[in-house]
Amino acid sequence: MMTLIWSSLTIGAVYALVATGYNVVFTASGVFNFAHAQLMMLGVFLAYAGLVVLKWPIIVVFLFAGVVVFLAAALEERIAIRPVRLAEAQLVTTVGVATLINGAAQRIWGPSPLSVPYFASNQTVTVFGGRVLPDEIVIIATTVVVVILLMLLSKRTMIGLAMLAIAENRESALLRGVNVRRLALGAFAFSGLLAGLLGPIIGPQTFAAAGLASAIALYGFVALAIGGFGSLPGGLIGGFVVGFAEEFTARYMNSNYPDVIVFVILLAVLLLRPNGLFGKARERAV
Amino acid sequence: MNTLSTRLKSVPSFTLPLIAAIVIVLLPQLGLSVTNQRQVLLIGFLTLLVSGLNLSLGYAGELALGQPAIYATGAYVAAYMGEHGSTDIVLQIVAAVAAALVVGLLTGIPGLRLGSWSLAMTSFFLVLLIPDIANIFPGATGGMVGAVGIENGTFFGVALTNYGYYLVVVLSVIFWLAFMRNLVTSRHGIALRVMRQSPVLASSLGISVFRTKLLAYALGAVPAGIAGALFANLDHYVSPETFSFALAISILAASILGGATSVYGAVFGAVIMQLGPSVSTSFQQDALIFYGILLIVGGVLLANGVSGLANNAWKRYVLKGERATRTKHAASTEFHFPAMAGAKLSVKGVSKSFGGNVALRDVDLDAEAGKVTALIGPNGSGKTTLLNMICGFYPTDAGTIDLDGVQLDHRRSYQIANLGLARTFQTPVIPAGITVAEVVLSGRYSPERVSIAAAALRFPRYWKVHSHDQEQVAEILDIVGLTDLAHEQADSLPLGTRRMLEIARALVSKPRVLLLDESASGLDEDEVARLAMLIRRVRDAGGTVILVEHNFRLVLSLADTIHVLAQGEIIASGTPADIEVDPRVLREYLGVKDVDAAAAAIEADTTGPQR
Amino acid sequence: MSDQSQSPAAPLLDVKNLATGYGDIRAVWDVSLSVNTGELTAVLGRNGAGKTTLLRAIAGLNKVGKGSISYRGDDISSLPAHRRVGLGMGLVQDGKRVFRRLTVQENLFLGGYTLGIGRRKLPDKLVRIYDIFPALGERQKVVVGQLSGGQQQMVAIGQALMAEPSLLMLDEPSGGLAPSIVDEVMAILVTLKKAGMGILLVEQQVEAAIDVADHVVVLDIGRVILDAPASELVDLDVLKEAYFGSAKLDDDVTGEAKAPE
Repeated sequence: MMTLIWSSLTIGAVYALVATGYNVVFTASGVFNFAHAQLMMLGVFLAYAGLVVLKWPIIVVFLFAGVVVFLAAALEERIAIRPVRLAEAQLVTTVGVATLINGAAQRIWGPSPLSVPYFASNQTVTVFGGRVLPDEIVIIATTVVVVILLMLLSKRTMIGLAMLAIAENRESALLRGVNVRRLALGAFAFSGLLAGLLGPIIGPQTFAAAGLASAIALYGFVALAIGGFGSLPGGLIGGFVVGFAEEFTARYMNSNYPDVIVFVILLAVLLLRPNGLFGKARERAV
Repeated sequence: MNTLSTRLKSVPSFTLPLIAAIVIVLLPQLGLSVTNQRQVLLIGFLTLLVSGLNLSLGYAGELALGQPAIYATGAYVAAYMGEHGSTDIVLQIVAAVAAALVVGLLTGIPGLRLGSWSLAMTSFFLVLLIPDIANIFPGATGGMVGAVGIENGTFFGVALTNYGYYLVVVLSVIFWLAFMRNLVTSRHGIALRVMRQSPVLASSLGISVFRTKLLAYALGAVPAGIAGALFANLDHYVSPETFSFALAISILAASILGGATSVYGAVFGAVIMQLGPSVSTSFQQDALIFYGILLIVGGVLLANGVSGLANNAWKRYVLKGERATRTKHAASTEFHFPAMAGAKLSVKGVSKSFGGNVALRDVDLDAEAGKVTALIGPNGSGKTTLLNMICGFYPTDAGTIDLDGVQLDHRRSYQIANLGLARTFQTPVIPAGITVAEVVLSGRYSPERVSIAAAALRFPRYWKVHSHDQEQVAEILDIVGLTDLAHEQADSLPLGTRRMLEIARALVSKPRVLLLDESASGLDEDEVARLAMLIRRVRDAGGTVILVEHNFRLVLSLADTIHVLAQGEIIASGTPADIEVDPRVLREYLGVKDVDAAAAAIEADTTGPQR
Repeated sequence: MSDQSQSPAAPLLDVKNLATGYGDIRAVWDVSLSVNTGELTAVLGRNGAGKTTLLRAIAGLNKVGKGSISYRGDDISSLPAHRRVGLGMGLVQDGKRVFRRLTVQENLFLGGYTLGIGRRKLPDKLVRIYDIFPALGERQKVVVGQLSGGQQQMVAIGQALMAEPSLLMLDEPSGGLAPSIVDEVMAILVTLKKAGMGILLVEQQVEAAIDVADHVVVLDIGRVILDAPASELVDLDVLKEAYFGSAKLDDDVTGEAKAPE
């Protein structure tokens, strides 16, 4: 059981990271970046390239992945987001970016999933009676730390306050001197940096599998819906909920059911609590 | 004289498509090889899938990424039937469509609650589920191996030959495209365009935005269901691998390529997407890269208006020289002005606060039929809040609003519009890409209804309502003096004309209450005079007019009753004569302190005392 | 802050032949006006005259179609809005547009965004604002959405003041406020003006505005129909005409009146 809990927490953490990426960008620019999961996968591919192909030291690999995805995300904002003001068109362009990264990754590294080695110990350890890999513990811990750090940043810094202001009223924020455009770009780029830096950490879990990113993007969206758009702690909790749902379903039923159960959860949340647990949902006109 | 066509790309005359359709039908007879026939069939399926997406995306503005799942639903339903002896292809199509509608509704209702992204994600999730569902019900679907043993399709008992099947597919596509074209050119197409650009306007015209979006999304599932049923009969084999994320992306790419609001663009996009991979092997390998770039570029253009909006901007640029000037066509005075059955609007004890801010406190007012009731007050007085509450944008905290005894408060704005309330907006809300006549036509959506089926299939009811529409629109355009401009692009007209157009749109529905929100703002003297005359005629015809205004002189000359709002309360009500000299009004409205002198000055209309 | 050694002839804000609008609508056709350091220019006119559009263009929210906007002698017509704040131009929008989901303190912090001070040091700056608006000092952690209209307006003005502007622009600050609060607000503007701030005040409350103005500009349908020092405004009736509905103005209203185009 404890082993199951560890694996639930691990995969849940990955979904929480996706939701966090969505949240950071959404709060600063009002955009839902469907391509975030694909950016994370790009980070994983770069980790593979750095560790397996180029055989660089781990620090260099972290930096490499971080910087490249940082740039990719910034490029995405400039090309696919800023010129596009309509929400449905943004959906189209972010799907386009995800597809492009997917296609490029398959072109460069081929369509088969690649194994990413963990840079530290690969020995399973037993914690609280459950077997878990050190990498898995690192993933869980990193996720929690990242969310807490971001929450602190948002509460304690002027940038964090500026982002809340933008989320509420872009024009009013502009009138207080906030460079709204630059913050939006910054949020995107930052989410890319985060995604890249996480590559070497989550890679061993997820493998470098371009096709997997869509599923992760969708599960991450469910996490976001559960927690509420714009809520960092919500995304964390939502991620874990989804992780547990997936692992327990896979364990006690067969492997065809997790998608179904998670989908049902999504429908339930949308029907019963559309704002999620903590969300201050933007009013979208329906 | 406007020599350019004012019609959108999606509404060409159907001669050319008809010819193309006939040619395609005859192709096998003309010697098209079996391999190429297969390509035509595959293009046909893709066209249906893309067209369904166009309805959702191009018209309702909803990105429905779940087309492959609906396709799969249709295919498996037909496959199941085909495996179990029910081989009639028409029956299979019907069953597939029914199943498609069910899936569409089940995902649309929760998906639409949070807006665009959640619907896109919910529908995309469906694609993920396909292999899982296939594995969970291996008996029905054949699991990952696929559905085999599907018997040959029949058409009313007759076994389908290759050509027979070809005909069924091609005719189905033609039928769907005709359906779509009819829908899009009907008032429903206008309603969708209005809704996409301004949900607020759509609600005020009696269109339920949620229901309409749901309908468009669910309807977009229909062609995918048809395609599925047809597909099952292609190779008599259905494999879950067909229904992939890549397919979803290629459908989206095809839609963008052909133009999401173009009816026939679906064919164009489908042709490119289907033939592309067979033309170049690098396309096959790099398909995703190609799609990705296409989507990014297409999305940027979509946002900046390839369909409709860019079309419009271009027209505006080209038409600058030919811009219609303010019409000098005087409003006809001889014309029989339609009778307006005005209703009485009663506001009793209405209060509203936003957080700690009391916007309205215990407001009472009545607006009677055959009278002009004016509501005036300085900015921040709560006028706009009251107006918005009457129209249903927020609920009251206390008090009631009713129309001839029927409760209005706590109803949604489209319901209130359907009860007979028509309004204009402070800044005219005129959607881009439609003509003056079509704007007025959009006002007819509520008073006389036509179902989607009747419109798309052109039943007699449609034609009957269509002729009423033309009559009423022509009548109203003549009354407001806009007949010459009937086919102009509405949003490129000057402000005064657009205001008159808004009023025309409001009047064509023969409203029980006409609510004018600062209609005189920005108009010059002639235009104000014309507006005043129109209002008087509505009143004389028995209508109820509520005028929210800043133009004091206009209000004094026009209104039967004036209510003055300040800081959320009614501080004075009465006839123009009363209000004109009411000291409280002058004080609140103007911040005039030397009230008696000012009152005397206005009354005497001579130079006032020294400051 | 204002430069006392500036020659009196150089205005703080100089708008010349401005034409601007939003979307399709040209709301301002040809407006020229100026604001001097330590003086208050009032812009009056009825709804739809273009007053708000004018302010928005000066603040950088609307694009300039024709003409120019100069601040301290430099043409800022194409400077982005957020940069203008940093230069010392502050806009208080109409309708008490503050961040209702944030607290009073957080709103004021945001006002000080351009000061470049971290959140830790900002509370010192807040003291000034609480001196001017004691009611806010008593409600520092209250979410602004819960405040009364008058208090929300104070937050709006306080926000603008936090950035230490040299030019303060206000769009109908009296909107929806009780007369006593309007008086308070006007008194504060006088104090600020005397301390050297240049103020551009758009108002509906005619007399309240004229009482505090050094210069009065009246707009109608996007043009200036009256531009005079407040002291020379002998005939109040003229303004009431402009408000009550007549668009045209006679030449012999005051010695300084500009004839309409």
